[in-house]
Amino acid sequence: MEGFLGLTLPSFIGQLINFLILLGLLTFFGYKPIRKMLDERANRIKKSMEQAEATKKEYERTRVEVEKQISKAREEGQSIIGQSEQAGERIKEEARQEARKEAQAIVDRTREELERERDKAINELRKEFVDTAILAAEKVISETLDKEKHRSLIEKTLEESAALMINEG
Amino acid sequence: MSEKRHRVNFLKIMVLAIAIFAMIIISFIGSEVGSGIIGSKPISLFNVEAPKYHPAPEKPFHHLPITNTMITAWISIAVLGGLFFIGTRNMKIVPTGLQNFLELIVEAAANFIEDPAGEKHGRWFFPVCTTIFLFVVANAWVSLIPGFETIRINGEPLFRSANTDLNIPAALAVVSFCYVEYWGFKARGVSYLKTFFQFGPLWQALKLIFTGNIKAGAGGLLHGSVLVFAGVLEILSHLMRMVSFTFRLFGNMTAGMILVMIMIFLVPWVLPSLFYGMEAFFGFVQAMIFGGLTLGFACAAVMEEE
Repeated sequence: MEGFLGLTLPSFIGQLINFLILLGLLTFFGYKPIRKMLDERANRIKKSMEQAEATKKEYERTRVEVEKQISKAREEGQSIIGQSEQAGERIKEEARQEARKEAQAIVDRTREELERERDKAINELRKEFVDTAILAAEKVISETLDKEKHRSLIEKTLEESAALMINEG
Repeated sequence: MSEKRHRVNFLKIMVLAIAIFAMIIISFIGSEVGSGIIGSKPISLFNVEAPKYHPAPEKPFHHLPITNTMITAWISIAVLGGLFFIGTRNMKIVPTGLQNFLELIVEAAANFIEDPAGEKHGRWFFPVCTTIFLFVVANAWVSLIPGFETIRINGEPLFRSANTDLNIPAALAVVSFCYVEYWGFKARGVSYLKTFFQFGPLWQALKLIFTGNIKAGAGGLLHGSVLVFAGVLEILSHLMRMVSFTFRLFGNMTAGMILVMIMIFLVPWVLPSLFYGMEAFFGFVQAMIFGGLTLGFACAAVMEEE
């Protein structure tokens, strides 16, 4: 049963079936999973490219933001430094004024004290002097004047003399 | 220094060339034809059995209707199916090894097909065109395994290049034809038949003539007849494609097989290797042609005619 150049119906049909089996095998085990994988990979690559693009944009945006913030912070810092310098200057000035005032106050107080001490000393001296003078006068003119009258007389005289001295001075 | 090395390399190449040349000459002289020319006895080492060629495939098992080309076709199917089966087990998004190789093939084929056919039709054509290509190339290359055709059972070779069995190119051609017509109808519906049967203009012209407008009808008559004739030619060309498909592949592969057999008979050493290389190339080219032409015809069939 040999046909033209070996072409026979059973062989032909057998080979037809062979080819169809191979077609089915390769489609099912080969082409479908591989093409699915290729498509999936293409998708994934596309997605990651998009993501990278988005990340880049986000980064760019953030960078600008950060730069802006940094420059703002620098400005702020600069102004704070300026303010602190001014504040420092003011505080220094204030401290100086305070110190000066205090020193002045101390000097004034000391002077007052001194004056008061001096007046006290003068008063005491005067009292002593009056007492001594009375004592002396008593001894000189004893019994002529009572003690109280005598004292007021001398006081008066002293005051007059003091007023005279101040007027002259 | 480098001059010396050059000289040594040159010497090596010369020795190799002489050795190869000697092998060719000796094996030629030792073979049946060569020894006949110089009148000596053939050397048994080089005495290869004279090539016999039967166009019909042999049946190595007497009682079974299985031809040796059927067996080799099964081997091709097993090799291809096995490769794709193993290669697509637990596929990874980052491919390695076999998966990478198979993806390379599939992607190359997909690009090759979708370039002329477009995305939509390319997806239709892809499995058939790629399988035709892979089957033809596998059949061609499996038969180039050294010693492939020398294994004999019951005096007949157990294996034989599957493409040299007329049934295989014929089956592929019929498959190609059927798919092309199927795609034509699928893409264009009933209007696909217009490629073959265009009676409209002729009918119009006849109607004009019978209604008395002979002058206008006569012009249309020629145009209409040409279209009818073109349709007939189209039918013939579609049918002849199958024949040309069949005999192109069969003829090329058979000629290659016979050429290799004769070279082995004439010069058993060295020279047949060249022809093996050539056959590997031609097997690839024929597979490309078979798949590519199917693709081309398919593209033509689905194309909308203006």
